Amino acid sequence: MRRVVNWFLNCFPGRRRRLERELELELRFHAERRVEDLVDSGLSEAGARKRAAFELDGFTPIREDVRAAWVPRWIDRCRLDLRYAIRTLWRSRSFTATAVLLLGIGIGATAGVFSLFDQVLIRRLPGVTHPERLVHLDWAGNSLSSSWGSGHLMSYLLCRELEDVEGLFDGVFCRHPTAVNVRAGERSTSVRAEIVSGSYFPTLGVHPSLGRLIGPSDDLRPGAHAVVVISYRFWADHLGADPDVVGHTVAINHHPMTVIGVSPADFEGVDLGAPTAVWIPAMMKKQATPEWDGLLDRRTAWMHVFARVEPGLTVAQARPRLQAWFKGLLDRETRSEDFPRVTEEQRRSFLASTIDVLPAAQGSPQLRSFLQRPLWMLLGTTFLLLLLASLNVAGLLIARGATRGQELDTRVALGASQGRVAGQLLVENALIALGGGLLGLLMAPLVTRVLLSMLAEDSTLSAALDARVVLFAFLVSLVAAGLFGVAPAVRLKRQSLTASLGQRSRILTGIGFRRALVTGQIALTLVLLVGAGLFVQTLTRMHGNVGFDSGNLVMVSVDPLSIGRSDSEAERTMRDLMRTLEDLPGVTSASVANTRMLQGGSSATTLTVLSDVGRAVTDGPVSYTRVGPGFFTTLGVRFAVGRDFDERDVRGSGGEQPSYRSIIVNESFAHRYFGRQSPIGRLVGFGSQPNTPTQTRIVGLVSDFSRRSLRDAELPQAFVPFWDGDSRNGTFYLRARGELGSTFASIQTSVGQLDPALPIAITTYDEQIGESMRTEELLASLSIGFGVLALLVSVVGLFGLMSFVVTLRTREIGVRLALGATRRDAIALVVREALIMIGIGALIALPMIWALGRLVEAQLFGVGAIDPATVAAASVLLAIVGLGAAGVPARRASSISPADALRFE
Amino acid sequence: MTDRLTIPQGTLDVLLLHIISLDRAHGYAIAQRIEQVTGDAISVTQGSLYPALHRLEQKGWLRSEWRPSDTGRSAKFYSLTRAGRKRLAVERDGWDRLTHAVQLIFNES
Repeated sequence: MRRVVNWFLNCFPGRRRRLERELELELRFHAERRVEDLVDSGLSEAGARKRAAFELDGFTPIREDVRAAWVPRWIDRCRLDLRYAIRTLWRSRSFTATAVLLLGIGIGATAGVFSLFDQVLIRRLPGVTHPERLVHLDWAGNSLSSSWGSGHLMSYLLCRELEDVEGLFDGVFCRHPTAVNVRAGERSTSVRAEIVSGSYFPTLGVHPSLGRLIGPSDDLRPGAHAVVVISYRFWADHLGADPDVVGHTVAINHHPMTVIGVSPADFEGVDLGAPTAVWIPAMMKKQATPEWDGLLDRRTAWMHVFARVEPGLTVAQARPRLQAWFKGLLDRETRSEDFPRVTEEQRRSFLASTIDVLPAAQGSPQLRSFLQRPLWMLLGTTFLLLLLASLNVAGLLIARGATRGQELDTRVALGASQGRVAGQLLVENALIALGGGLLGLLMAPLVTRVLLSMLAEDSTLSAALDARVVLFAFLVSLVAAGLFGVAPAVRLKRQSLTASLGQRSRILTGIGFRRALVTGQIALTLVLLVGAGLFVQTLTRMHGNVGFDSGNLVMVSVDPLSIGRSDSEAERTMRDLMRTLEDLPGVTSASVANTRMLQGGSSATTLTVLSDVGRAVTDGPVSYTRVGPGFFTTLGVRFAVGRDFDERDVRGSGGEQPSYRSIIVNESFAHRYFGRQSPIGRLVGFGSQPNTPTQTRIVGLVSDFSRRSLRDAELPQAFVPFWDGDSRNGTFYLRARGELGSTFASIQTSVGQLDPALPIAITTYDEQIGESMRTEELLASLSIGFGVLALLVSVVGLFGLMSFVVTLRTREIGVRLALGATRRDAIALVVREALIMIGIGALIALPMIWALGRLVEAQLFGVGAIDPATVAAASVLLAIVGLGAAGVPARRASSISPADALRFE
Repeated sequence: MTDRLTIPQGTLDVLLLHIISLDRAHGYAIAQRIEQVTGDAISVTQGSLYPALHRLEQKGWLRSEWRPSDTGRSAKFYSLTRAGRKRLAVERDGWDRLTHAVQLIFNES
């Protein structure tokens, strides 16, 4: 150990110099004593000196052996290589800086994207024991259920029954993510919550940091377990890390519940990136989600079901055994009394259902399914950029190798082995790569932060560097060093000493290689430019798809039920609010709908349509929205024919299913089911059974506009009256005049006067548009960014190469000019070469563009994955910029004086 | 010149540690001492002496200091460190057991 430390210390120049000086003194002392002794024994002084000197240096290289005792020879050699490499790189600072910068950009972008990729797609659920054994269970087939929420949903009862399956699982649990209002003391906030079964914490293997967690004893009788577990973060941020918090009461949606414990700091639920603040027992579902219940309804699917596979059992083994059990369950269900009356076909498809067993080591796939594609695309793009940067550095190295040829040859001629020279180059490349890697690490958190702000603002994903990102950056640097270092090294190996005598031929082989590299860069750049073109077009097409003027439109969402108001109170509040908001100064018109537009969700149902050809059922569920009178006028959606809703349109209120007297459809709906005929006056019914009553009359036809997302303007849509006796929450839409800030303020004051406790969410419609196009905007701005970077990098490469070509061919061009070629011919010579490279690059790019198109198809809108116009435009842009880069050297070629050129060299 | 024994490196290390353990010494004195004690039977050339001394110093078994020699000139004197002393004990013990064992075999015949 001591020795290894010394090896290292002895490498420092100061210490090394002292060692050398002392060795010299030590050996001189030895020699002098020897001379004295020899003289004493009778030798002449001169003879003694000669003998002593011979003994000292005659046989062995004593100094070399002593130095090897200080530092082993191989380390010493590396040290020298390193010192030499640093000196060489420092001498050509501009080259080094360019190479490090290029690599830093490439590595920084790649590592920054990897940081997110790792957190979302690779890393396992934190705070959970053996996450690799967790699986997600999903009903595959027709479950005859209505569903609440998104993702793979099953009923609570099915989850409990799965717990009883023997010999497969070490536990089964279910959870439903939602948002609740929490009031602790005076402060009230809306937070993410999970409604969980009693098996949730035991199965995950999570232990409390305070108090106890929800267990099976909290999962017995509906409404009887008013307890909550709060997250460590919520405890620290909102409750001041109060050590006596256990036993305190908080209000969840105005229902008092007792805090029984605090989760450990590293566990925040099973949805990575969307941390849970409060866990509520499933039995308290009615209090947690006041607008709907269905806890003990077999046909309501709302829970994400997870299980822990027994050790030693693989998913493949578990699957068939689970199916056998499931078959029996389905069979029993169809024979039970409360099984819904269905057609024979529906019964068959129900009985054919299976349960999917999906790996869930990373928890709930919500965030993952949203980010998976963008992240893969980003990672691919950044690798392209890195490849581009590496190719460029390889080009720089070859250009440098051409001028360094003589230095290297001299070293070989003076006795350095080829291996030593290659090793020397390797050290230089490693230093460049390491420099690039370090710069990349500095840039990576910035890249991650920018991506986070665009992708997942309110998630817990972190932009900080961690060991895995550092390791990744290091590996990527090595790969890059391999990429850019191999080319010059291979060339070095190929050439023998004699070949270097013919300097010119060698430089020319280098040129061929650089040409190939630049062509490759042009191809990659074209791919990135085409990608940018596709995403930008997607963005503009979607912006044009709103369907009306979105300026000065304000949305106000309220939910009186969330603060514990009764149904009748809530309905009264909604009506009062409608009247107040209509009369606000600065509001030209106002209306209401049951949901927020462009938020993704909506109710949908299959409709029975009576047309000229008879009774027909819609192709699938048609999304329908409940809207108040004046909704379309407020938005600015045109009525093609017919009229708006008024108070006559609701037939009675209350009851199981409100029955609508009237319905309004959009043009796509009319076109799909009535062709060219007017839909006004036609009858439709809610449902698809042969006996579904068709008593709802189409009274209006509105032009198409985007409802759930900006991609769905051309889907059939239906609208029914909002005030149907079930109007207890919703979103108001206000068309404002003039300055929005004051409108916002007056909205807040008037809502506050009506019900001070009522939380409201106000946004402009333009903000909602921006929110719904976050992914598309991200892709567009990123692809433009990458496209421009790539263009820049390859223009630098092209410019460098063409300048080099002109220098090399100065003599030839001079001769041609002397023999009568015009200046224009000289320019053409250079430009032609550049054009050939761009053309070949474009040809190479075509299959890559095709592959890219397949990859991003799902993200595009309104433009084909293979869009000839985009490819053409990108190629023209590339050609113009490329010719611009070649133009400067071309002009230089044209101004060559024949006389000077012939003197050249 | 008579035939002199050349000694393997490991053995040289023990010899050096032992000689230095008696009193601190400079390189020349150590070489002289080995020749005197063994009656010139073992010769240690500078070529193996100095690398060995430096190796032992790097391993932390010897330390060195510059001080005036008997002739008044400044010389590099080596002395044993605590680790060196331990090492010597271990080496000597091993050496004793080996020679003892070898002797037993010789005595048998």
